[in-house]
Amino acid sequence: MSTVEAPSLREQVTLIDLVDRVLNKGVVLTGDLTLAVADVDLVYVGLRVLLASVATLEPGPEGAPAT
Amino acid sequence: MTATAAGTLWYAYAVVGPVDAEVRAALGGEFELVGSGEAAVVAGPVDEADYGTDVLAERLNDREWVEQAVQAHERVVQRLLPVAAVVPLRFGSIHRDREGVAAFLHSRRDDFVATLARVRGRVELGVKVWLEPQEEQRPPAAATSGREYLERQRAARERHAAAGAELDDRLRRIHERLLAASDEGVLNRPQARELTGDPRRMVMNAAYLVADDDAFVAEVERLRRDEPSLVLEVTGPWAPYNFADAPER
Repeated sequence: MSTVEAPSLREQVTLIDLVDRVLNKGVVLTGDLTLAVADVDLVYVGLRVLLASVATLEPGPEGAPAT
Repeated sequence: MTATAAGTLWYAYAVVGPVDAEVRAALGGEFELVGSGEAAVVAGPVDEADYGTDVLAERLNDREWVEQAVQAHERVVQRLLPVAAVVPLRFGSIHRDREGVAAFLHSRRDDFVATLARVRGRVELGVKVWLEPQEEQRPPAAATSGREYLERQRAARERHAAAGAELDDRLRRIHERLLAASDEGVLNRPQARELTGDPRRMVMNAAYLVADDDAFVAEVERLRRDEPSLVLEVTGPWAPYNFADAPER
């Protein structure tokens, strides 16, 4: 297996790639207070308008706090 | 931080495993590990004023807020990726308290352990294929008669259909070769131009679960040489967002 780290690949991430994954993919959990998936999908439709001019995001410094 | 402060909810970012000192070090003091051993949920407090069910839908219409929230989610996932197998959870996985997170983990633990094993040592790489504008059909020149116009329309439709079928074929072969260089792959819907803001048309939007990223990127390079009129773009490494759900049984 080769290295899992490939920092050269991760030079720029578009917001839409990120939104596509974080909002649309990943395990859906059901909990006592879980945002319904249907809600996100509906909102995502609205987001398409918001994201009409998509910015390219510069990744933050490695390990930067999530604030 | 077992007690939950008033106005605070528990946001679950990902499931990781196995839990070891490296995982704990990567998280620092900011996030909690709920569970231990082979699988644990990484969670942290968020403000109910932002993430409560009654306000979250509204917040999601605020582009700046969404940008920051989505990046915050991804930063936590990216911290974990170099040190453990990670199953990312979808944005907005929120629990009232720690017990809620623990109950969720308990209900799905076996699935998570299996999925963690499936993605361990692998990353997700995105591959987008773009069509240069000159590759697309030009509109037919102005016709001098109605009949000529209809004739040209018909010919253009036929050309368009033939070009579409040929392109589908080329894309299918690209996908097959990338599948051979990976464990699994999925084809997602190409992103619309209004979203990408790119003059080129996206014709393929795929994700692959990859163990040997050098070999995978080398195959992309060969595809670029074999398909000079297409633009292949690789993104990542991502956590396995597209491969996080256990296969149907």
